[in-house]
Amino acid sequence: MNRVLPWLLVTPAILAIVVLLVLPLLDTISVTFIQEEGVFAGYQEFFDRRFNRGVLWRTVRIALIVTAIAIAIGFPTAYFIARAPRSWRSILIVASVFPLLTSTVVRSFAWIVILGRNGIINETLMGLGLISEPLSMLYTEGAIIVGLAYLFSPLMILSLVGVLENIDKSVVEASISLGASPAKTFWRVILPLAMPGVIVGAVLVFTGSFTSYTTPVLLGGQRNTVLATLLFREAMTEFDWASASTIAVIMMALTITVVLIMSRVARRLNPAAA
Amino acid sequence: MQRSSPILAITAIAVFIFLLGPLVIVAAASISNTEFLAFPPQGFSLRWFVNVFEVSAFRDTFLISLQIALLGTFLSLLIGIPAAYALSRSGFTLPKSLANFFVLPILVPQIVFGFALLSAISVDFDLPVFPTLLIGHTIIVLPYSIRVVGASLATFDFSAEEAAISLGCPPVKTFYTIVLPNIRGGILAAFILAFITSLNNVPVSLFLTGPGISTLPIQMLTYVENFFDPTVAALSVLLMALTVLVMAVVEKTLGLGYFVR
Amino acid sequence: MTKSLNLTGISAHYGRTQVLKDLDLDVKAGELVSLLGASGCGKTTTLRLIAGFLHATAGRVALDGRDISSVAAHRRDIGLVFQNYALFPHMSVADNVGFGLKQRGVAPSERRARVGDMLEKVGLAAFADRLPAALSGGQKQRVALARALVIKPSLLLFDEPLSNLDAKLRVDMRVEIRELQRVHNITAIYVTHDQEEAFSISDRVAIMDAGQISQYDTPEVLYRKPANAFVANFVGFETMIGLRVTGRSGGVATAEGQGARFTLDEATWGGLPDAFTLGARADGLRVMEGGEDDGLPAKLSVRTYLGRSYHYRAETSVGSVVANGSIDRPFNEGDRAKLVLVPEQCCILPAQP
Repeated sequence: MNRVLPWLLVTPAILAIVVLLVLPLLDTISVTFIQEEGVFAGYQEFFDRRFNRGVLWRTVRIALIVTAIAIAIGFPTAYFIARAPRSWRSILIVASVFPLLTSTVVRSFAWIVILGRNGIINETLMGLGLISEPLSMLYTEGAIIVGLAYLFSPLMILSLVGVLENIDKSVVEASISLGASPAKTFWRVILPLAMPGVIVGAVLVFTGSFTSYTTPVLLGGQRNTVLATLLFREAMTEFDWASASTIAVIMMALTITVVLIMSRVARRLNPAAA
Repeated sequence: MQRSSPILAITAIAVFIFLLGPLVIVAAASISNTEFLAFPPQGFSLRWFVNVFEVSAFRDTFLISLQIALLGTFLSLLIGIPAAYALSRSGFTLPKSLANFFVLPILVPQIVFGFALLSAISVDFDLPVFPTLLIGHTIIVLPYSIRVVGASLATFDFSAEEAAISLGCPPVKTFYTIVLPNIRGGILAAFILAFITSLNNVPVSLFLTGPGISTLPIQMLTYVENFFDPTVAALSVLLMALTVLVMAVVEKTLGLGYFVR
Repeated sequence: MTKSLNLTGISAHYGRTQVLKDLDLDVKAGELVSLLGASGCGKTTTLRLIAGFLHATAGRVALDGRDISSVAAHRRDIGLVFQNYALFPHMSVADNVGFGLKQRGVAPSERRARVGDMLEKVGLAAFADRLPAALSGGQKQRVALARALVIKPSLLLFDEPLSNLDAKLRVDMRVEIRELQRVHNITAIYVTHDQEEAFSISDRVAIMDAGQISQYDTPEVLYRKPANAFVANFVGFETMIGLRVTGRSGGVATAEGQGARFTLDEATWGGLPDAFTLGARADGLRVMEGGEDDGLPAKLSVRTYLGRSYHYRAETSVGSVVANGSIDRPFNEGDRAKLVLVPEQCCILPAQP
């Protein structure tokens, strides 16, 4: 191919992203800095309100806890899948992919059925006579965390299965032959080699949880506002587009910062790929 | 590898119950003969499945979602396949960072993108709801088209293309007769991934619904916020059945494709 | 119709790096010429340039005197055989072979006949309906060969066609390639980094280095009379000794330098310049007792047994060299000896600056 043709072939995709994604975003960003009261007035106002600071902290807190849970349950599961016989492995991977292909509304809705007043947990506990009144588990921060952990664990599992499968079996055998116990081998050989996968998974889970809308709306109710629901409320209920834009920029800035930092960490942890 | 320890196996089984159990519970709740969500289901009734088709909002929004997903996926492949081809074919001419640039639609929080589309395009240019939705969905599935087709192209040996040209086949015809048939599995996979992603999308569509136009997930969200009957459970079962069907098609087609290769 | 190929003043660049420098190459009609060299020497670039997949920054490519530099790759009528076969994975063997005929608008009935004929020739008639994935490496390469030959191209190009095959098959296949090329009387360019392969198969070989042709001649000349140190080294003259003639009498010259002294019969070399470099293969240096007048003084180290002779690693004033010794008189490690010349395994090169 010559020099012009490749550029010609990528031009439609570049144009689409620049015109339909980058420019609208730049427009949104510029709105937040063009304020009568000063360049940073919008951000000043946002952070001055205790409620907003609380929402931001709740969103970060939820995303961090969900990421930790996803790693904790994702790693052993991925390890199990990577070690399973071939035929089983594909079944287990399909079982992990299936939830991802199912609507987030459906998957969040499932937890209404489970956690609700007449849900499976309350019915079981009352049936056993352990409680007399249904517990209110729905519309709590805990419900959001469970829902998001459920939503995003498959992403963590799939990120990890990829790296764990690629770890050369003979490296593990070399470690054991050199006298390292299986536990030591895990901590000193397998975990460091799997670290890039952990980081990719963590970025996906954290940013996904941090910006999620559906699950907090369905499982968090009115009281447990997060950034995404606040953004929607400011834009569509209060019609305060300046505030909504400010929230949008804060979400975007935090997300991109996390992605950039973590990808740098991943690169440093993985000298083999450099 | 060595045998897994029983603790590991039990943990993994528990996780899979956690992953798949809720979906089973939704399915069970959909046949309950009660006016509210109940598990285990009380009685047996298919009336909530009937109700899905009687709520006209579900039918209308499903059709809109279907149109948006099909058109958006088609458009994303239309601009994504040439881009993926150029990226894997001309590594020298094109800057490496271009591949990263094409991930941008995944990097930007979708709810932020949805809001930006609303304020910058829908309002500023007074664009109707449907085309704005279509733009949003095309952009968010574009990275899937480029990456999945790109992965397929990465396994394709481009010297076959040169062989065809040396045998007298013009370059454009070579693309259709030699390259395309060999990446059709990747294109199908990209199509399905993009289609499902678009069909399930909430955050981009959230701001882009208007009078008479909404998407199915948004409609379901609204319904669940207001009603507690098992209709959405029944609808969920139907959607899951669609997903299973699609996965079976992939398995069958791609399986055949790999067999042929 | 067999055609000649002429490359004149070809230069090529990848970005700012120049990969071919003012290269000339003349190939006579019906000849098989190998481009031989290490990776990065420009041999594959030259081939792709002839095929039309790359464009030269200067110079012209001519087939039978007609400049084809600006002819598109798919109109050049050149058969190409790739290192990785480059078969179309989604087409049967017969469809692969028939592809070029189809592009040329050959009618289906004639196409079938010619494909069948060609598959017969490469011994794959029974595999016509198979897909490439079901073939072995050697069979794949035969299909690739058939596919390139069936269009009766003006020129056949081979890009390291045998490097993915095992050693035994490689030898069989190169005979087969040579035979088919002869029978069809097609001018051919063959790119390889394997010296034995190039020498065994070619009418002439161009040894390439850093984007230029170092020497272009028949294998016999290259093997015996390399023109420069690079070619000499490439064809196995590993030891280089800088010498100066110190005396001539009765057709015999005495040459000295770098601690060595040799008496050379001028007729053997067709005359000797006053200063020159002598190149020697391992078999060109023979280990003798230390008492000899002539020779290169050496201290022997590792000895390896080769059946007909011994090879020794020897420390000398020109460095560590390999020399050969009689099976009847083994030397021990640490022995001092003289290395004398076996003229047939030596060559004379211009003096190195």
